[in-house]
Amino acid sequence: MSTPVIADPVANPAAEPAVVTGAPTAAQRVTSFMPVIALVALLAALTIADPDFLTQRSLTAAVRTSAPLVVLAAGATLVVLCGGIDLSIAALCSLSTVFFAMWLPDLGGLTILAVVAAAGAIGAVQGIAHVVLRIPSFVVTLGGMSIFSAIALVISDAGPIRVIDRDATAWLNLYVAGYVPMSFFVAVLVVAVVSLVIKLTPLESFVRATGYSESAARLAGTPVDAVKVAAFTVSGACAGLAAVMLASRNFSGSPTMADNLLLPAVAAIVVGGTAITGGHGSLWRSLTGALVVTLLRVGLPIVGVPSAWEQILYGAIIVAAVALTLDRSKVLIIK
Amino acid sequence: MTSPAKADPDVVVPPRPRPRRGVSLLDAGPPIALVVIFAVFAALSSDFRTVGNLQNIMDAAAVLAVVACGITFVLMMGSIDLSVPGVMGASAIAVALLVANNRNGNDWGLLGILVAILLGAGLGLLSGMALVSLRVPSFMTTLGVSAVGLGVATLMFAGVQPNIDDEMLHGWAVHRFLGLAYLTWIAVGCVLVGWLIQRYSRLGRYAYAIGGAEEVLALSGVKVAPYKVAVFTLAGAFYGLAGVMVTSQLSAGLVQAGKGYDFAAITAAVVGGTLLTGGRGGVLHSAVGVLLVTVLTNGLVQVGVSPYWQGGVQGLIVVAAVSAAVLPQRRRNQVTK
Repeated sequence: MSTPVIADPVANPAAEPAVVTGAPTAAQRVTSFMPVIALVALLAALTIADPDFLTQRSLTAAVRTSAPLVVLAAGATLVVLCGGIDLSIAALCSLSTVFFAMWLPDLGGLTILAVVAAAGAIGAVQGIAHVVLRIPSFVVTLGGMSIFSAIALVISDAGPIRVIDRDATAWLNLYVAGYVPMSFFVAVLVVAVVSLVIKLTPLESFVRATGYSESAARLAGTPVDAVKVAAFTVSGACAGLAAVMLASRNFSGSPTMADNLLLPAVAAIVVGGTAITGGHGSLWRSLTGALVVTLLRVGLPIVGVPSAWEQILYGAIIVAAVALTLDRSKVLIIK
Repeated sequence: MTSPAKADPDVVVPPRPRPRRGVSLLDAGPPIALVVIFAVFAALSSDFRTVGNLQNIMDAAAVLAVVACGITFVLMMGSIDLSVPGVMGASAIAVALLVANNRNGNDWGLLGILVAILLGAGLGLLSGMALVSLRVPSFMTTLGVSAVGLGVATLMFAGVQPNIDDEMLHGWAVHRFLGLAYLTWIAVGCVLVGWLIQRYSRLGRYAYAIGGAEEVLALSGVKVAPYKVAVFTLAGAFYGLAGVMVTSQLSAGLVQAGKGYDFAAITAAVVGGTLLTGGRGGVLHSAVGVLLVTVLTNGLVQVGVSPYWQGGVQGLIVVAAVSAAVLPQRRRNQVTK
């Protein structure tokens, strides 16, 4: 998709100056708190609909369900921050659950590392294809999605593979401090570590520069290609970790297990307020977004809405959230 | 090639414009590839080179051809459409509930089919409106509309599969004319209609122009937005018809009627020479692409490759075809999103 970057500010007088650090307008401030507001509002609404919802048990169950989604969305957020999109995360996650179930008997406790490494490597291949062949990221990852699904179907013979040895992932089903599910703790840990690494290194400005204006970043000497490949690698590795969580919860690996997580993951990213045009956003935002999406998913049946509406809601949310967070000053023509 | 020695020294012979050679390769490549692939499979498998299998290929290509007709117009504008599974699912269930079926007393016949196509057009309209009024990129709007379509389909499905009893609709997949199923002739008709729209209507010409240089078109005083919406609506109508065709083939309405058709259609269009950047290709190109994809799918199964690889092969083809297409502008095009 070609999204021409404005070279000359005169061409679009309505565009805001490219300075990022300017004082945000009131609308921007509200928009930036939108995910938290949405989260609190949802919690309140669900508690009113069903007072039993705000109990420790149901909240624990809700955050436990959200863990794979949080990890998936967090990884893909990096790619979005660089201005691209990763549509392959769900298919890669499904493929990784198959890897996990197949490798577990041979590798034992090392399987988790092996799966994360393999998924990261596959992500890196996509990133390299994107920067070397100069194909738009959504084409690469759309192709990747199709290829990973095919590989998963072929190696698993199109059926679920049971995980017999449950000791390797038993720790994921523990609780930290008695309340917080370990999988959710790990998910938050991933978000925190990746955010911290980005914050404490020049990576933050690299990623933002790449997302805000790739050509300017290139001229300024930012290693744009390396940053992008790294983003895709992290995205792939996160898909692998999410797969471990899914497989440990379902005690099996299946070639289509995570396929329905693509839309919620994209929704989590855009609901969190990360701009699809790149540059603006953070992993913490996607964590909030993932919680909002999970609450919607858990909450709809509570208020008595048929689950078919879930899909319609996702569609509407994605379009609405993107419309709110899109940086229009950067894109002259919307394709 | 004109030899420079013979040319009149006073007349400056303008060099042949270079892009044209690229375009002609783009135009001639896919049909040549089709012939080559066909010959290879015919040589490899004796089952492949039978008249019956040729009919199979044509019949298997029918639905994909209709989807590809629609998506070609969107791709010509430089946009993308991921809404195929949702739109096809919704129209497949809708038509199954409107013609004679086991769920309710409806027997609308042709009118039901028309309503299903209009539902598809309506969902396409939704994508187009979100694109031009909210200014959300098309891959996001259509991803959203796909989810909406699947949700609508699931609501109508309501847990009980609608099986159709309508003789006419079921007959489309069964009855043959000149050796090909009626559905295949419908697809041929769609390709023809699509080509006429592309070639002779303002909509088709502007779709090209939007893909080539939208700014220029807008600066020339053309209101681009209505044409964009119209293109998405037209594409939605094609997907709607494709959903009806799948219902005819299965004799039942399924929510997953359109699963995988989005990617297959994009593959077909790209392989046929319709560039994702817009402004190139067309319905006839995509039709060749559809035959290429179908022959490849059929041939690989005939020579003993697992059908599960089908999607993987399509994925590789898309990446390869797109990278081949952007290769000439590789140096110029530094920014890829």
